[in-house]
Amino acid sequence: MLNVYRALLCLYPAEHRQVFSEEMLEVLLAARNEISEQKLFARGRLMVRESAGLLMGALRERFRRFTGIHHELSSFVSGRLAMRNGFRFPKTTIVFMLLILGGVLSAIKRGEDIAASVPNANPPITVHVQSVHSILLGGMPLFFAFFYAAGLIGWAILFALRRSGVHRLAGMSTEQK
Amino acid sequence: MALYDMSPKAIIESLPLTEPVLLILLSLAGRPQHGYAILKDVERMSSGRVLLSTGTLYGALRRLLDDDWIERFAEEETPRGRQAYRLTSQGRRNLHLEIDRMKHITRLATLRVATKES
Repeated sequence: MLNVYRALLCLYPAEHRQVFSEEMLEVLLAARNEISEQKLFARGRLMVRESAGLLMGALRERFRRFTGIHHELSSFVSGRLAMRNGFRFPKTTIVFMLLILGGVLSAIKRGEDIAASVPNANPPITVHVQSVHSILLGGMPLFFAFFYAAGLIGWAILFALRRSGVHRLAGMSTEQK
Repeated sequence: MALYDMSPKAIIESLPLTEPVLLILLSLAGRPQHGYAILKDVERMSSGRVLLSTGTLYGALRRLLDDDWIERFAEEETPRGRQAYRLTSQGRRNLHLEIDRMKHITRLATLRVATKES
Protein backbone atom coordinates (compact mmCIF):
# COMPACT_ATOMS: atom_id res chain seq x y z
CA MET A 1 0.00 0.00 0.00
CA LEU A 2 2.79 2.36 0.98
CA ASN A 3 4.63 1.74 -2.29
CA VAL A 4 1.51 2.64 -4.25
CA TYR A 5 1.20 5.90 -2.32
CA ARG A 6 4.89 6.67 -2.87
CA ALA A 7 4.53 6.02 -6.60
CA LEU A 8 1.47 8.27 -6.79
CA LEU A 9 3.25 11.02 -4.87
CA CYS A 10 5.96 10.95 -7.55
CA LEU A 11 3.32 12.17 -10.02
CA TYR A 12 3.14 15.54 -8.26
CA PRO A 13 5.31 18.41 -9.53
CA ALA A 14 8.73 18.58 -7.86
CA GLU A 15 7.90 21.88 -6.17
CA HIS A 16 4.84 20.37 -4.49
CA ARG A 17 6.72 17.20 -3.53
CA GLN A 18 9.51 19.16 -1.85
CA VAL A 19 7.08 20.96 0.41
CA PHE A 20 4.36 18.41 1.12
CA SER A 21 5.34 14.84 0.20
CA GLU A 22 6.83 13.84 3.57
CA GLU A 23 3.89 15.32 5.40
CA MET A 24 1.37 13.67 3.08
CA LEU A 25 3.07 10.31 3.56
CA GLU A 26 2.80 10.73 7.34
CA VAL A 27 -0.93 11.41 7.00
CA LEU A 28 -1.36 8.38 4.73
CA LEU A 29 0.53 6.23 7.23
CA ALA A 30 -1.57 7.49 10.12
CA ALA A 31 -4.76 6.74 8.19
CA ARG A 32 -3.50 3.26 7.33
CA ASN A 33 -2.45 2.50 10.92
CA GLU A 34 -5.81 3.58 12.23
CA ILE A 35 -7.70 1.03 10.19
CA SER A 36 -5.07 -1.74 10.24
CA GLU A 37 -7.23 -3.73 12.68
CA GLN A 38 -10.34 -3.40 10.54
CA LYS A 39 -11.66 -5.70 7.84
CA LEU A 40 -10.09 -6.11 4.43
CA PHE A 41 -13.00 -4.27 2.81
CA ALA A 42 -12.43 -1.14 4.93
CA ARG A 43 -8.70 -1.20 4.14
CA GLY A 44 -9.40 -1.64 0.43
CA ARG A 45 -11.89 1.24 0.48
CA LEU A 46 -9.34 3.52 2.14
CA MET A 47 -6.69 2.55 -0.41
CA VAL A 48 -9.01 3.26 -3.33
CA ARG A 49 -10.07 6.61 -1.86
CA GLU A 50 -6.53 7.72 -1.09
CA SER A 51 -5.13 6.52 -4.42
CA ALA A 52 -7.87 8.29 -6.36
CA GLY A 53 -7.32 11.43 -4.26
CA LEU A 54 -3.58 11.39 -4.89
CA LEU A 55 -4.03 10.77 -8.59
CA MET A 56 -6.54 13.56 -9.00
CA GLY A 57 -4.48 15.85 -6.77
CA ALA A 58 -1.40 15.24 -8.93
CA LEU A 59 -3.39 15.86 -12.11
CA ARG A 60 -4.85 19.05 -10.63
CA GLU A 61 -1.39 20.34 -9.64
CA ARG A 62 0.07 19.51 -13.06
CA PHE A 63 -2.91 21.16 -14.77
CA ARG A 64 -2.54 24.25 -12.57
CA ARG A 65 1.16 24.55 -13.31
CA PHE A 66 0.66 24.00 -17.03
CA THR A 67 -2.28 26.35 -17.58
CA GLY A 68 -2.26 28.77 -14.65
CA ILE A 69 -5.94 27.97 -14.11
CA HIS A 70 -6.91 27.51 -10.47
CA HIS A 71 -9.70 25.92 -8.60
CA GLU A 72 -11.54 28.67 -6.77
CA LEU A 73 -12.09 28.10 -3.08
CA SER A 74 -15.78 28.43 -3.84
CA SER A 75 -15.57 25.46 -6.19
CA PHE A 76 -12.57 23.56 -4.94
CA VAL A 77 -14.10 20.14 -4.66
CA SER A 78 -16.87 20.38 -7.20
CA GLY A 79 -14.12 20.97 -9.72
CA ARG A 80 -15.52 24.03 -11.49
CA LEU A 81 -12.59 25.71 -13.15
CA ALA A 82 -12.11 29.42 -13.10
CA MET A 83 -9.49 31.84 -14.32
CA ARG A 84 -8.12 33.90 -11.45
CA ASN A 85 -8.01 37.69 -11.64
CA GLY A 86 -4.28 37.52 -11.13
CA PHE A 87 -3.63 35.11 -13.96
CA ARG A 88 -0.71 36.37 -16.02
CA PHE A 89 -0.19 35.73 -19.67
CA PRO A 90 3.10 33.80 -19.90
CA LYS A 91 5.88 36.04 -21.21
CA THR A 92 7.42 33.16 -23.13
CA THR A 93 4.27 32.95 -25.26
CA ILE A 94 4.80 36.53 -26.45
CA VAL A 95 8.39 35.69 -27.42
CA PHE A 96 7.29 32.58 -29.32
CA MET A 97 4.53 34.50 -31.09
CA LEU A 98 7.01 37.20 -32.17
CA LEU A 99 9.44 34.53 -33.40
CA ILE A 100 6.68 32.84 -35.43
CA LEU A 101 5.59 36.21 -36.87
CA GLY A 102 9.20 36.96 -37.83
CA GLY A 103 9.48 33.53 -39.48
CA VAL A 104 6.29 34.02 -41.49
CA LEU A 105 7.30 37.51 -42.66
CA SER A 106 10.75 36.26 -43.63
CA ALA A 107 9.23 33.33 -45.59
CA ILE A 108 6.89 35.69 -47.48
CA LYS A 109 9.80 38.01 -48.34
CA ARG A 110 11.95 35.09 -49.53
CA GLY A 111 9.09 33.75 -51.64
CA GLU A 112 8.66 37.14 -53.29
CA ASP A 113 12.41 37.34 -54.00
CA ILE A 114 12.41 33.87 -55.61
CA ALA A 115 9.36 34.74 -57.72
CA ALA A 116 11.03 37.96 -58.90
CA SER A 117 14.30 36.19 -59.76
CA VAL A 118 12.69 33.46 -61.94
CA PRO A 119 12.17 34.55 -65.59
CA ASN A 120 8.55 34.50 -66.61
CA ALA A 121 9.09 31.98 -69.42
CA ASN A 122 7.62 28.92 -67.87
CA PRO A 123 4.97 27.03 -69.80
CA PRO A 124 1.46 27.67 -68.55
CA ILE A 125 0.52 25.26 -65.80
CA THR A 126 -2.78 23.51 -66.03
CA VAL A 127 -4.44 23.99 -62.69
CA HIS A 128 -7.09 21.55 -61.72
CA VAL A 129 -9.79 23.58 -59.98
CA GLN A 130 -11.94 21.56 -57.68
CA SER A 131 -15.63 22.23 -57.98
CA VAL A 132 -17.36 24.10 -55.17
CA HIS A 133 -19.72 21.20 -54.60
CA SER A 134 -16.93 18.74 -53.95
CA ILE A 135 -15.31 21.13 -51.48
CA LEU A 136 -18.56 21.61 -49.62
CA LEU A 137 -19.36 17.91 -49.58
CA GLY A 138 -15.84 16.72 -48.82
CA GLY A 139 -13.55 19.16 -47.07
CA MET A 140 -15.74 21.53 -45.13
CA PRO A 141 -17.81 18.99 -43.17
CA LEU A 142 -14.59 17.18 -42.27
CA PHE A 143 -13.09 20.47 -41.16
CA PHE A 144 -16.07 21.26 -38.92
CA ALA A 145 -16.31 17.67 -37.68
CA PHE A 146 -12.69 17.87 -36.57
CA PHE A 147 -13.27 21.01 -34.52
CA TYR A 148 -16.52 19.71 -33.06
CA ALA A 149 -14.72 16.50 -32.05
CA ALA A 150 -11.89 18.53 -30.48
CA GLY A 151 -14.45 20.61 -28.57
CA LEU A 152 -16.27 17.49 -27.43
CA ILE A 153 -13.05 15.90 -26.16
CA GLY A 154 -12.20 19.13 -24.29
CA TRP A 155 -15.66 19.20 -22.75
CA ALA A 156 -15.35 15.52 -21.75
CA ILE A 157 -12.04 16.21 -19.99
CA LEU A 158 -13.53 19.13 -18.06
CA PHE A 159 -16.59 17.03 -17.21
CA ALA A 160 -14.37 14.22 -15.94
CA LEU A 161 -12.43 16.69 -13.78
CA ARG A 162 -15.70 18.08 -12.44
CA ARG A 163 -16.91 14.62 -11.48
CA SER A 164 -13.67 13.81 -9.69
CA GLY A 165 -12.42 14.63 -6.20
CA VAL A 166 -14.00 14.39 -2.83
CA HIS A 167 -17.48 15.20 -4.09
CA ARG A 168 -17.57 11.87 -5.87
CA LEU A 169 -15.74 10.05 -3.09
CA ALA A 170 -18.22 11.42 -0.55
CA GLY A 171 -20.98 10.03 -2.73
CA MET A 172 -19.25 6.64 -2.86
CA SER A 173 -18.86 6.50 0.90
CA THR A 174 -22.55 7.45 1.40
CA GLU A 175 -23.59 4.65 -0.93
CA GLN A 176 -21.46 2.12 0.91
CA LYS A 177 -22.98 3.00 4.29
CA MET B 1 3.11 36.22 0.41
CA ALA B 2 0.01 35.78 -1.66
CA LEU B 3 0.73 34.83 -5.25
CA TYR B 4 -2.59 36.23 -6.43
CA ASP B 5 -4.75 39.23 -5.97
CA MET B 6 -6.82 38.92 -2.81
CA SER B 7 -8.57 42.27 -2.89
CA PRO B 8 -12.03 42.54 -1.25
CA LYS B 9 -13.55 41.84 -4.66
CA ALA B 10 -11.42 38.70 -5.04
CA ILE B 11 -12.42 37.57 -1.55
CA ILE B 12 -16.10 38.00 -2.35
CA GLU B 13 -15.55 36.01 -5.54
CA SER B 14 -14.13 33.19 -3.39
CA LEU B 15 -17.43 32.96 -1.53
CA PRO B 16 -19.47 30.90 -0.95
CA LEU B 17 -16.89 28.38 0.14
CA THR B 18 -17.48 24.71 -0.53
CA GLU B 19 -18.33 22.60 2.47
CA PRO B 20 -14.91 20.85 2.65
CA VAL B 21 -13.02 24.18 2.50
CA LEU B 22 -15.35 25.69 5.10
CA LEU B 23 -14.87 22.67 7.37
CA ILE B 24 -11.07 22.88 7.00
CA LEU B 25 -11.17 26.54 8.02
CA LEU B 26 -13.51 25.78 10.93
CA SER B 27 -11.15 23.03 12.03
CA LEU B 28 -8.33 25.58 12.21
CA ALA B 29 -10.49 28.29 13.80
CA GLY B 30 -10.25 26.76 17.29
CA ARG B 31 -6.55 25.93 17.34
CA PRO B 32 -3.71 25.06 14.97
CA GLN B 33 -3.84 21.51 13.63
CA HIS B 34 -1.63 19.18 11.61
CA GLY B 35 -2.82 17.41 8.46
CA TYR B 36 -4.20 14.21 9.94
CA ALA B 37 -5.96 16.07 12.77
CA ILE B 38 -7.70 18.24 10.17
CA LEU B 39 -8.85 15.13 8.27
CA LYS B 40 -10.34 13.59 11.40
CA ASP B 41 -11.87 16.87 12.56
CA VAL B 42 -13.58 17.42 9.20
CA GLU B 43 -14.95 13.89 9.33
CA ARG B 44 -16.21 14.41 12.90
CA MET B 45 -17.77 17.82 12.22
CA SER B 46 -19.65 16.51 9.19
CA SER B 47 -20.71 13.32 11.01
CA GLY B 48 -18.71 11.23 8.55
CA ARG B 49 -20.37 12.75 5.49
CA VAL B 50 -17.27 14.59 4.22
CA LEU B 51 -14.33 12.22 3.94
CA LEU B 52 -11.32 14.07 2.58
CA SER B 53 -8.57 12.13 0.92
CA THR B 54 -5.00 13.23 1.62
CA GLY B 55 -4.59 14.44 -1.98
CA THR B 56 -7.68 16.62 -1.76
CA LEU B 57 -6.77 17.97 1.68
CA TYR B 58 -3.30 19.04 0.60
CA GLY B 59 -4.63 20.56 -2.63
CA ALA B 60 -6.95 22.73 -0.54
CA LEU B 61 -4.23 23.55 2.00
CA ARG B 62 -1.83 24.60 -0.75
CA ARG B 63 -4.51 26.81 -2.26
CA LEU B 64 -5.29 28.40 1.13
CA LEU B 65 -1.54 28.92 1.75
CA ASP B 66 -1.15 30.60 -1.65
CA ASP B 67 -3.96 33.00 -0.82
CA ASP B 68 -2.65 33.70 2.71
CA TRP B 69 -5.75 32.38 4.40
CA ILE B 70 -3.64 29.98 6.49
CA GLU B 71 0.02 29.65 7.44
CA ARG B 72 2.29 26.69 8.02
CA PHE B 73 4.67 26.34 10.95
CA ALA B 74 6.71 23.68 12.74
CA GLU B 75 5.12 22.49 15.97
CA GLU B 76 7.53 22.92 18.87
CA GLU B 77 6.27 20.13 21.10
CA THR B 78 6.74 17.36 18.55
CA PRO B 79 10.13 15.59 18.29
CA ARG B 80 10.63 16.15 14.56
CA GLY B 81 9.00 19.56 14.34
CA ARG B 82 5.83 18.32 12.65
CA GLN B 83 4.24 20.86 10.34
CA ALA B 84 0.94 22.36 11.44
CA TYR B 85 -1.45 24.95 10.05
CA ARG B 86 -3.25 27.92 11.56
CA LEU B 87 -5.53 30.66 10.30
CA THR B 88 -4.02 34.01 9.41
CA SER B 89 -5.84 37.22 10.35
CA GLN B 90 -6.98 37.46 6.73
CA GLY B 91 -8.24 33.87 6.79
CA ARG B 92 -10.15 34.51 10.01
CA ARG B 93 -11.68 37.67 8.54
CA ASN B 94 -12.76 35.78 5.42
CA LEU B 95 -14.21 32.99 7.53
CA HIS B 96 -16.26 35.58 9.44
CA LEU B 97 -17.45 37.02 6.12
CA GLU B 98 -18.62 33.58 5.06
CA ILE B 99 -20.34 32.95 8.40
CA ASP B 100 -22.08 36.35 8.17
CA ARG B 101 -23.22 35.48 4.65
CA MET B 102 -24.62 32.18 5.89
CA LYS B 103 -26.36 33.89 8.82
CA HIS B 104 -27.96 36.36 6.44
CA ILE B 105 -29.21 33.54 4.22
CA THR B 106 -30.54 31.65 7.25
CA ARG B 107 -32.38 34.74 8.55
CA LEU B 108 -33.81 35.41 5.11
CA ALA B 109 -34.89 31.81 4.67
CA THR B 110 -36.54 31.75 8.11
CA LEU B 111 -38.46 34.95 7.35
CA ARG B 112 -39.58 33.80 3.91
CA VAL B 113 -40.63 30.37 5.08
CA ALA B 114 -42.49 31.84 8.09
CA THR B 115 -44.32 34.33 5.82
CA LYS B 116 -45.33 31.54 3.47
CA GLU B 117 -46.61 29.32 6.31
CA SER B 118 -48.64 32.10 7.96
